[in-house]
Amino acid sequence: MLDSLLAVGGLVLLRDSVECEGRSLLKALIKKSALRGEQIHVLGCEVSEEEFREGFGPDINSRVVYHDLFKDPLNWSKSGEAVPEGPLGTLRTLCRRTDPGPVTIALDSVSWLLFHLPCITLCKTLHALSQPSVSSGADSLVDQVRVLGLLHEELHGPGPMGALSTLAQTEVTVSGKMGQTSASILYRRPQQRATYQTWWFSILPDLSVDLREKLPLHSELHPDPHTTQVDPTTDLTFNLHLSKKEREARDSLTLPFQFSSEKQQALLRRGPGQTTSHIFYEPDAFDDVDQEDPDDDLDI
Amino acid sequence: MAAAATCGAGVLSSGCVASTAGRSSTTSFQRRSKASGADGGGPRLLSIAGTRPSVRNGQLLVSTGLPALDQLLGGGLAVGTVLLIEEDKYSIYSPLLFKYFLAEGIVNGHTLLVASAKEKPADILQELPAPLLDDNGKKELEDVHNSKTPESDVNMKIAWRYQLQPKMQVGPVSSSRFGHYYDVSKRIPQELLGSSKWHGFFLPEHITSDLKGEPCSLSGDYMKLLQFIQNIIYTEGFDGSNPQKKQKNILRIGIQNFGSPFWGDDICCTENSDNSHRLTKFFYVLRGLLRTSLSACIITMPTHLIQNKAITARVRNLSDTVVGLESFIGSEKETNSLYKDYHGLIHIRKIPRLNNLTCDESDVKDLAFKLKRKLFTIEFLTEAAAH
Repeated sequence: MLDSLLAVGGLVLLRDSVECEGRSLLKALIKKSALRGEQIHVLGCEVSEEEFREGFGPDINSRVVYHDLFKDPLNWSKSGEAVPEGPLGTLRTLCRRTDPGPVTIALDSVSWLLFHLPCITLCKTLHALSQPSVSSGADSLVDQVRVLGLLHEELHGPGPMGALSTLAQTEVTVSGKMGQTSASILYRRPQQRATYQTWWFSILPDLSVDLREKLPLHSELHPDPHTTQVDPTTDLTFNLHLSKKEREARDSLTLPFQFSSEKQQALLRRGPGQTTSHIFYEPDAFDDVDQEDPDDDLDI
Repeated sequence: MAAAATCGAGVLSSGCVASTAGRSSTTSFQRRSKASGADGGGPRLLSIAGTRPSVRNGQLLVSTGLPALDQLLGGGLAVGTVLLIEEDKYSIYSPLLFKYFLAEGIVNGHTLLVASAKEKPADILQELPAPLLDDNGKKELEDVHNSKTPESDVNMKIAWRYQLQPKMQVGPVSSSRFGHYYDVSKRIPQELLGSSKWHGFFLPEHITSDLKGEPCSLSGDYMKLLQFIQNIIYTEGFDGSNPQKKQKNILRIGIQNFGSPFWGDDICCTENSDNSHRLTKFFYVLRGLLRTSLSACIITMPTHLIQNKAITARVRNLSDTVVGLESFIGSEKETNSLYKDYHGLIHIRKIPRLNNLTCDESDVKDLAFKLKRKLFTIEFLTEAAAH
């Protein structure tokens, strides 16, 4: 499941709710991409750095570049530890990064950013962030950028949620039911059909994912309707079926407009009174049609 | 429908006898081509490529790129009107209709104007589908694009009086088919793209932002687009202002993803937007621009995201033709057996009444579409065994 989530670049939105949190899935994804050798940038806004980094091994921790916006979001302490330019500036700097290689950017939460930035600016910046950058090397590879964003569903109205959904290439909705966590994933690749998958999983303390099963589409939500076909001809007041005799009688009936050979002969042999039709014309006083010169009455 | 159109055109023009000499230029008798305009003038007036008069009221129509959609809209899209496509939820099929419209413009030799805030217009044009042409169509296409009007400036020595006569068109000017079929799995060939004329408007190149990066006058984005369109119409003479133009052409305008946050509009984000009138003002001014020029416009808009339903109603009123797409992905309709063969529903919400009291609305409202590997088809929903 994680491989398919990390396969395509672009924006991956992890939607969680109060019942089931998504940060552990985010950390599992970060761990997976770090093990692939990618560089990770984390924009931490909701939890402290120590809390975010726990569960990561030292090798992963060394790959994670943490931009801390939690400790001092408004830059009051001016001690140089906090990020001076604020969330928008940090995002813009990340857009303009120039290191080669694939990069994963994790936004700890997009909800926090939505509260602090206007929605339009955030949408535009996220779009700019998830564009693949062309590295300036000789072979000009297109580096994949993956942006993992954690979004808390209940905090926002349908407007911003819809706007962010249109940006995302992949949307994962995490929900939990009786101790089991499920993720419904919507893959939206350009030029391809969108596909849905649902997985049941649980995340172990070392941030690896234990997959239970993959469910087919919508099976637990919509039980199959009864497939008994109703015969529409059962309760009618008229008879739709033909018996054999009736069928034969119907077939042997000649239709009135059928052009049988008898009719053809009858038409060919014309009766004495049935010659070709004539037009009888009686000119009245105003007509002066001259047979020799038909244009005689023209006033030229 | 096509047969009725040709009969209609034949009635208007005097049906000429096909001369035995065929296409020789010495005779002035000529078979009237199917796509000639409703002017009824002599063979000197060249018809505009890719257009035909409507069967009902003689209105000049262009094809939307999908013959099935043309039929549902009453023959095609009228020149000077706006076609609004309400996008489906995940925006999968509406870019396809957008591309069909642009590809039809390229095949017919129209000028394109592509405006987008998310993708570069050059990238959009690279992804257009390839046209499916039979042999006649391929030959006509080459004629349209390679040699527009071979000016024969041979000075005649003996019959020099005939030089004053206007040149007779040798072959049909327009590709005689109105509406082509496209193969979605292939890209448009590069030589077709290269020989076409297009203008692109990519919003990030046109906005000026100050140092803090906040979008400054939000109303400026729409005004810039309007000014761009007006500039193109004026300089290229689509409104008849440039009398030197010898051959009239149609300008096809395509605006993608309009009203989304990328255009700087927050109608998709909030319900009480402060500047909700900018969008409607844009539609109003655009309609005025289009009515006075030979152009047709397609706009795709994510109306399912607009929070204030009043804005949606206003936008629909201000557009001429409104087509809504609803895809089944992610909705409960996907498991419904009635819809299992199709990918979504098409709702024709509005058809314009241009110079007319009635419009050509079809009686059947249940239309569904299906995207096969190569084609996009629209069909009437048949009531299957499901009750």
